[in-house]
Amino acid sequence: MAEHTPRKVAFVANCLLNQNAKVCQGAHYPGVVSPVVQALRARGYVLQQLPCPELAFAGVRRWWAVYEQYDTPVYRAHCRRLAQAIAPLIERHFRQGDEVILIGLDGSPSTGVRFTSSRPDWGGRPNRPQDDWDIVPRRGVWIEELEAELRRRNLPALPATGWALDMGRYDEAGSRRDLEEFLDAQAHSGMSHTEAR
Amino acid sequence: VSGDVRGWRIALVPDALLNPPDAAGSRLDVLRVLEACGYGVLQLPPTAGTGDAGPLLAVIADQVAEYVHHGYAVVAIGLRGEPGSGLHWRRLNGLLRHRGVAPPPRRVVDPRGRRTDEEQRLADFLLGYDVPDEQQRVWRT
Repeated sequence: MAEHTPRKVAFVANCLLNQNAKVCQGAHYPGVVSPVVQALRARGYVLQQLPCPELAFAGVRRWWAVYEQYDTPVYRAHCRRLAQAIAPLIERHFRQGDEVILIGLDGSPSTGVRFTSSRPDWGGRPNRPQDDWDIVPRRGVWIEELEAELRRRNLPALPATGWALDMGRYDEAGSRRDLEEFLDAQAHSGMSHTEAR
Repeated sequence: VSGDVRGWRIALVPDALLNPPDAAGSRLDVLRVLEACGYGVLQLPPTAGTGDAGPLLAVIADQVAEYVHHGYAVVAIGLRGEPGSGLHWRRLNGLLRHRGVAPPPRRVVDPRGRRTDEEQRLADFLLGYDVPDEQQRVWRT
């Protein structure tokens, strides 16, 4: 059997490769979020796309929503089903000794990593004024369920960050800087591990 | 859709094409072509070594059905030499059929072809496809 050369693998939010998955008025690119792909590929990462839980649950015509609206037993069960579908692929990379990271979407009620959107009183007729929600430091529902599934498989937590697309006002340069700092920290950490062996 | 720049076009892409083993080699750069043509990506799982791809394929089929039923153009890019063109083609189409979706238009690229020629042919295919104007008028306003 051929020896496996460890690879760098980035599991990325579905909409980072496909902006058509975004809620209406949420797409900042026609398709691929180029700066994310460029940053990852320049550092030798291969890409693995996560499923989009919101699209598969509420469809392409869904309303905007905050964390509390997706924090329901049925949506969490849906996210667990998706997590069980993608987790074997994540687990395979771990078991092969690959370096695995997760890039979510900060501000998203589902895919937020560092931040999610919150407004406990949202509900009913969708007539909220612009920017009428809060950004809070917390995982989105999908990321919570994905991480729970990885724990059930006795896998360590993935190093993770989020591309700050859903934070209210989109700052591409700032998002790129954040991501590159995270990736470069991973590279430094990987070098330290190699030296320690 | 005000302030929204989505391309309304999506390509199913094999893992082996998105993450080629010889990334620095001569194989075509599918992401670059897709970006240039304004397409989003739905990545298929690897065709070997990952156990049962069925649950993931079912999730992908759900997403394709949702797109096709709402005015999005969905195509498939196969990779010659891969089982099922790298697209799990027969299995995926079975899942799509159950969701009322016809097989998407497909172009199979040749990893041994000249890179520039393959990229140009792929771009022609991608730019030449969209849903009929009538559907665009219904969904994309």
